[in-house]
Amino acid sequence: MRDIRKMILVTAPDALIEERQKLTVTLRPEQLHRVMEELRRDETIPYDYLISLTGMDWGDTLGVIYQLSSSADLTREIIVITSTANRTDPLLYSVSDLYETAQLNEREVYALFGIRFINNPDMRRFLLNDQWKGFPFRKDYTHDPVVNPVTVISSDIVDIAPRIRETAGGDLVEESVAIFDEDDYIINIGPQHPSTHGVMHFRTTLDGEIVKKVDVHSGYIHRGIEKLCENMTYPQMLHLTDRLDYLSANINRHALCMCIEKAADIAVPARAQYIRTIMDELQRISSHLLAWAAHCNDLGGTTAFIYGMREREHILDIFDKTCGGRLIVNQNVVGGVMFDIYPDFQKDVKAFIPYMRRQLIEYDHFFSHNAIALGRLVDIGHLSREDAISYGVTGPAGRASGWSCDVRRYKPYALYDKVEFKEILRTDGDSYARYMNRLDEIAQSLHIIEQLIDRIPPGEVCTKVKPVIRLPEGQFFQSVETGKGEFGVFIESRGEKTPYRVKFRSPSLSAVSAIPLICKGSFLSDLIGIAGSMDFVIPDIDR
Amino acid sequence: MLIYSQPLEVTQILDTVDQFLRTHLSPGMVSLSKGILTGLLLLVAYAVIALALIYIERKVAAFFQARLGPNRLGKYGVFQSLADMIKILIKEIIPINKADQLLFFAASFFVIIASLLAFGAIPFGMDLHAIDFNLGVFYLLAVSSLGVIGILLAGWSSNNKYSMIGAMRSGAQFISYELSAGFSLMTIVVLSGTLQFSEIIEGQRYCWNLFNGHLPAVVAFVIYLISGHAETNRGPFDLPEAESELTAGYHTEYSGLQFGFFYLSEYLNMFIVAAVATTMFLGGWMPVQIKGWEAFNQVMWVIPSWAWFIGKVGVMIFLSLWVRWSFPRLRIDLLLNLEWKYLLPINLVNLLVMVIIVLSGFTLTELFPAFFGR
Amino acid sequence: MSFSSYIQGIFTGLRSLAGGMRITWREFRTAKVTMEYPENRKTLAISDRWRSELIMPHDEQNEHACTACGICMINCPNDTINVISATTDTIDGKKKKILDKHLWDYGSCTFCNLCVITCPSDAIIFNNDFEGAVYDRKKLVHQLNHEGSKLREKKGEPVKVTREGTTDKANRQE
Repeated sequence: MRDIRKMILVTAPDALIEERQKLTVTLRPEQLHRVMEELRRDETIPYDYLISLTGMDWGDTLGVIYQLSSSADLTREIIVITSTANRTDPLLYSVSDLYETAQLNEREVYALFGIRFINNPDMRRFLLNDQWKGFPFRKDYTHDPVVNPVTVISSDIVDIAPRIRETAGGDLVEESVAIFDEDDYIINIGPQHPSTHGVMHFRTTLDGEIVKKVDVHSGYIHRGIEKLCENMTYPQMLHLTDRLDYLSANINRHALCMCIEKAADIAVPARAQYIRTIMDELQRISSHLLAWAAHCNDLGGTTAFIYGMREREHILDIFDKTCGGRLIVNQNVVGGVMFDIYPDFQKDVKAFIPYMRRQLIEYDHFFSHNAIALGRLVDIGHLSREDAISYGVTGPAGRASGWSCDVRRYKPYALYDKVEFKEILRTDGDSYARYMNRLDEIAQSLHIIEQLIDRIPPGEVCTKVKPVIRLPEGQFFQSVETGKGEFGVFIESRGEKTPYRVKFRSPSLSAVSAIPLICKGSFLSDLIGIAGSMDFVIPDIDR
Repeated sequence: MLIYSQPLEVTQILDTVDQFLRTHLSPGMVSLSKGILTGLLLLVAYAVIALALIYIERKVAAFFQARLGPNRLGKYGVFQSLADMIKILIKEIIPINKADQLLFFAASFFVIIASLLAFGAIPFGMDLHAIDFNLGVFYLLAVSSLGVIGILLAGWSSNNKYSMIGAMRSGAQFISYELSAGFSLMTIVVLSGTLQFSEIIEGQRYCWNLFNGHLPAVVAFVIYLISGHAETNRGPFDLPEAESELTAGYHTEYSGLQFGFFYLSEYLNMFIVAAVATTMFLGGWMPVQIKGWEAFNQVMWVIPSWAWFIGKVGVMIFLSLWVRWSFPRLRIDLLLNLEWKYLLPINLVNLLVMVIIVLSGFTLTELFPAFFGR
Repeated sequence: MSFSSYIQGIFTGLRSLAGGMRITWREFRTAKVTMEYPENRKTLAISDRWRSELIMPHDEQNEHACTACGICMINCPNDTINVISATTDTIDGKKKKILDKHLWDYGSCTFCNLCVITCPSDAIIFNNDFEGAVYDRKKLVHQLNHEGSKLREKKGEPVKVTREGTTDKANRQE
């Protein structure tokens, strides 16, 4: 840690380095790119994984918080903060040349905060359309519907990307570039398409059946959840996390609860920890089952879809008996869980485990070894380890590229340091590796549940928490491993009963940002298959 | 030929109708009214079979998928496809602004007429045969390949990119698999020595072609099933429709009855493929006959020939559904690989083997004339 | 590609496909999982904890436990609950707040259960009657207190109505 501080101080002598919840570095905008480059290119521990990029409005200044980690040692994290006082035309330097994942994230920050990034090759708005007036996440934004009326007139998509380039001489040049060539055959995959798993929109150019370029349009179900959270108390916020990645609803909520609990120093009873861990793993199995089912359906195996849904039903039954919800489970609350397990919980879960194991063997015979399925999966959509890290693709997809990135292992939470499980790693990086990783992770999740199910201690399931929770002033981070990858929560508190800013790090956004890279040059059919293997959930991207 | 009692055959009814017409009409009018009656009967059969198949497909698919399928309308939902037909008949046909109107309109007719022409050439039972060409197999291959024109037209005239890709895929797929289907039927033509359906069936009285030609016939049978399946654009070869990729492929823009035509013809093509497989390989409408077992043969003839035909076709259709609901979809390059690198070379070798076997007398009928000879 | 691997490829492929067909054949004969709703209405087991419709339990005297404190309304993240209170004079001449209408909008509720767990008098609960569909959106707004009902008088200790931080509702609604 010492070295990092020295290194930063050499490049930026007036950097402010603080030891907050994480090591936090505050920089002037013009120092940012050089420091980030140093961190990125470090030889021993390169900070090559940009976990999240958060736009901020601190009232007088606008800025960005970068949360960095290293693929060599995921336990290390650095928070880099930079800001600009110019609110009319804020400009910051882009880090998209260092981290590919920054590309879409910077576009999102531009849409929501109005900060433009110099040298980002494509500065269109992400999540919002071009006609949107104002920057909704700024604190001085007016909600008046007169400013942004609901329009019933559809407008054409403009495929021209503005950008700001810095010349060698240091001058800033504003220019616009066309996304597609004039005679490109553009086909819209989405926003209403059976296989985009929601309202995703891929603008795809084809050469025959070969995909030349994919342009990701998203935001069709952007609800501004992060902004909504700013007007809600901490217990109220919780129910929105279930509506991000609804397939990992329980795990998302777990992350936010833990973030609040850590910040407010609330202890969680042991029984609640057991229930949380078991529920998380059940949720992971259900998420992977749905991913498997939907992926098979994308490849044309309709029957497999029904089988996957059938098995998932058993988990949902356990969920609705435990906490009265199936998709939106609503189980975690600050300080524990809302409902204790029901009397037959252990019996039901123990009956499910052998059943699921039998079904996994059936899946193998039915689909995993099928000659047609192999032809559709093996050596398709290759994502290298370096790209996975640069795009921030975590979860089963990242691990299929050989990147050991399981948050449960590197930053254990709940009971994950007490149970034994194997991190499934494959090095092929193709669709088949991602597909198989999910099935293998189901087996591992069953193994984890098996270790915990008989050892649930008696006692309280929730500590008494004051009705109004106030977090101390500061910035708080928490990561968890959802079915899709690393899900992060960031809260900036000013000591009030509502947060000042909330940011959710979405694993699906990273997955979808890698789609243009890995689909290039493959068949149109494989675009669908690869998208299925990346397993993204649209509400998680749009938030 | 009619040496056994056949209480359920429709031959008598046909004769009665024939007599009735002859006594009341002039010879020219007899042919004309017979033509009209046959046409009407075929059309009705076409619609009824398609509706039945749609119901069967939904029910069987559901059972493969651990579901129950249609179960609301009538006992076990048997009237479901009837209700669907009524719905599709009264649905609005939505005009497409920038489509090529004439071709768009014509496409659905091309598809349905092609399958109807092929449908007319099928021998449904003893004497239940609209036309018995001496070039029956050739005629069938010729008219069934017309359907792809309709699909190409539909895709092109819709002015929709999904439709266009679907139609192009369909063209590539259809032309490729037509070859295999043709060659595998050729193999059986070599074995039977005729192109006429009635003679092919008669030749299989004591030994189905599938067994008569043993190894090459079995290979030809498998290849015909695969390529026939591919020709009907059904999963795992449903690339032209490819629901998860192209929403509905070449018929994305069609609605109402026009869509209904595509829908009907898809099911009828499945029936035609199964019927041809039955006729060429499994003895057609001919009941199971064993040489020398006269009592047994007589019992078999009690079951009418059309029931034998429907039974055999049913088995073939079930096989097709079973395949469809078990496998994921192929990709276009895998599809063409399968045809050009596997099916076609095997088929050519197979045809050669069949010729050698027939010439050297290694068929079952010639090896064991006592058991299988005509 | 050598000739033997070509032939081998054909057979491995066919074997894998046959394996898939064996699975579907087995499924073809196993029991189906379809639930035939509404025929199975009588036997349909809905979890007791299922959150479907917010209700205010009333006893035989048509009395409920709601003191019209409005905590549920404040805690609701969606403004789904609207507690309309009235004031009456008690026998000893004091003004007292009583419940006039407890309105809950089925249409905008997210079933987060915050109202139930924060209610100091345990006056409202979710039931598991899931068949709440109606033809008119207006009918989705339920009045939870019955006509003519009144607050159940607690014997012994009075119901605790105030809790920290329940006063600034106006602040939140801005």
